[in-house]
Amino acid sequence: MSIVIKGRPISKGYAEGEALVCHQPIGFNFGVDLTDGRILEHGHELLNKSIKDKILIFPHGKGSTGGSYVVYQLAKCKSGPKAMINLTTETIIAVGAIMGGIPVVDSLEQNPLEVIKTGDYVKVDAVNGTVEVESK
Amino acid sequence: MKLTDEEKRMLDGASGQPVKMAMDIVVAIGEIYGAEKLIPIKTAHIAGLSLKSHGIAGMEWVEDIAKSGAKVCVPTTLNVIGVDRSRDLKMPPDWSTNQLRIEKAYECMGCYGSSTCVPYYMGFIPKFGESIAWAESSAVVFTNSVLGARDNREGGPTAMASGLTGRTPLYGLHLDENRKGDVLYKVTADLRDIADYGGLGTYVGKRVGTKIPVFSGISYPSTEALVYLGAALASSGGVAMFHVAGVTPEAPTVEAAFRGKKYDTIVITNREIEEGKQQLTSARDNKVDYVALGCPHYSLSQLEELARLLHGKKISKDVTMWVHTNVAIKAMAAQLGYVRAIEESGAIVTQDLCTILGNPEALGFKTLATNSGKMAFYAPGSNGFGVWFGEAKRCVDAAVTGFWK
Repeated sequence: MSIVIKGRPISKGYAEGEALVCHQPIGFNFGVDLTDGRILEHGHELLNKSIKDKILIFPHGKGSTGGSYVVYQLAKCKSGPKAMINLTTETIIAVGAIMGGIPVVDSLEQNPLEVIKTGDYVKVDAVNGTVEVESK
Repeated sequence: MKLTDEEKRMLDGASGQPVKMAMDIVVAIGEIYGAEKLIPIKTAHIAGLSLKSHGIAGMEWVEDIAKSGAKVCVPTTLNVIGVDRSRDLKMPPDWSTNQLRIEKAYECMGCYGSSTCVPYYMGFIPKFGESIAWAESSAVVFTNSVLGARDNREGGPTAMASGLTGRTPLYGLHLDENRKGDVLYKVTADLRDIADYGGLGTYVGKRVGTKIPVFSGISYPSTEALVYLGAALASSGGVAMFHVAGVTPEAPTVEAAFRGKKYDTIVITNREIEEGKQQLTSARDNKVDYVALGCPHYSLSQLEELARLLHGKKISKDVTMWVHTNVAIKAMAAQLGYVRAIEESGAIVTQDLCTILGNPEALGFKTLATNSGKMAFYAPGSNGFGVWFGEAKRCVDAAVTGFWK
């Protein structure tokens, strides 16, 4: 069964893949390993898990404002997520994703942290602002 | 979004390709966040200059922009970097070369190579109500909260785009209605040292997310205490602004901070401060081989305090101790004899640099002791260090004995 949710395109593009749902904010600068996309923050719920090639769903960014360059670098090194879905995307992530070409959608009509589960197959259309979720 | 005729010409490329590229970024962000128009900014501050953040990809990106002839049109300062330009700290040569290439590219655009996270200690002091485009999470939160200037959490590239165009979109904290407090934190804890403010900021930042916390019960904090509180709030959370009732300019009282908005109240006792400090502790080994202070960069009075703490003491031969500040404060501290007093113990006062943006791990250190909530938060991810967190006096004891007690 699949559902389609409308949202706001932040960084235009299209990607599909496996969902990784994270309920905590993510700080990219000093928080993600650039070689394999592992989360490095001490005490974080995704510590040592990789965001590489995932459709990454998390509430919003936090922390260092150098994060834009890290999102860009993750895209360039191919260690980043295929797409990102936020409750609200902040400027730091938005501009890094635009520079790196990672599709991003936020402000979905349903809470993506509740509707989407890790392992679901998700199609992110960040041109038209839709997210299609197939439960695993 | 409504653009003026001049802004439309900038977007069409009449002022050259670099301005067009910058205008594209500013307008894209404005469209995303529903800004009605662009507004002029007085100053910009560009962050994320570390080679760790830029990488080679980001370095080449910014060098291309500099080569295309981009020039900032408002005073634009640069954030702390990963090397000390005044001395050889034995960083790997590639690291230093590439780090300096990044710095140089921004200087070519007309930015001031201030290399500090505290440009307000260098004389760049935004006025109350003034709109700016500053990156550096600790500086964003300080200018909004303590100075009453208006700034969003700019990323490095958006701050640069605003420096090149002199504009930022009118959204977020530039608008009066978005500067009201969201949650009241009633502090009954004793805040004796800036490490306590780091514990407070870490505890609250984790819980408040991107909302605006209002603190009551904090009286007569030093400027440095507010700097270290803000830095911790902005590391563990996405905080861009806080109020301290009776202290910060938009909060003469608790009610003034909320301006009619309904709010929850959470009490902060010594237990919550301790919990915040515990969250910053990630070391297991009591043996300490690296002690670093000055994140954000140390002020003159913090250096004076440290000179007193280190008086007559010698750092253990198994420990390296760095104290980070900027070139202006270091010059003043040198003139007053504080630098000599600190360095006689074996510690080093660095300029331009900080631990998390630098590469001290290349020197083989394993376990860090610091009094900075921000450094303690980032060092495990950035440097791979285990961290002990506590007041400056405890850090000095660790530097002298080689052990955290």
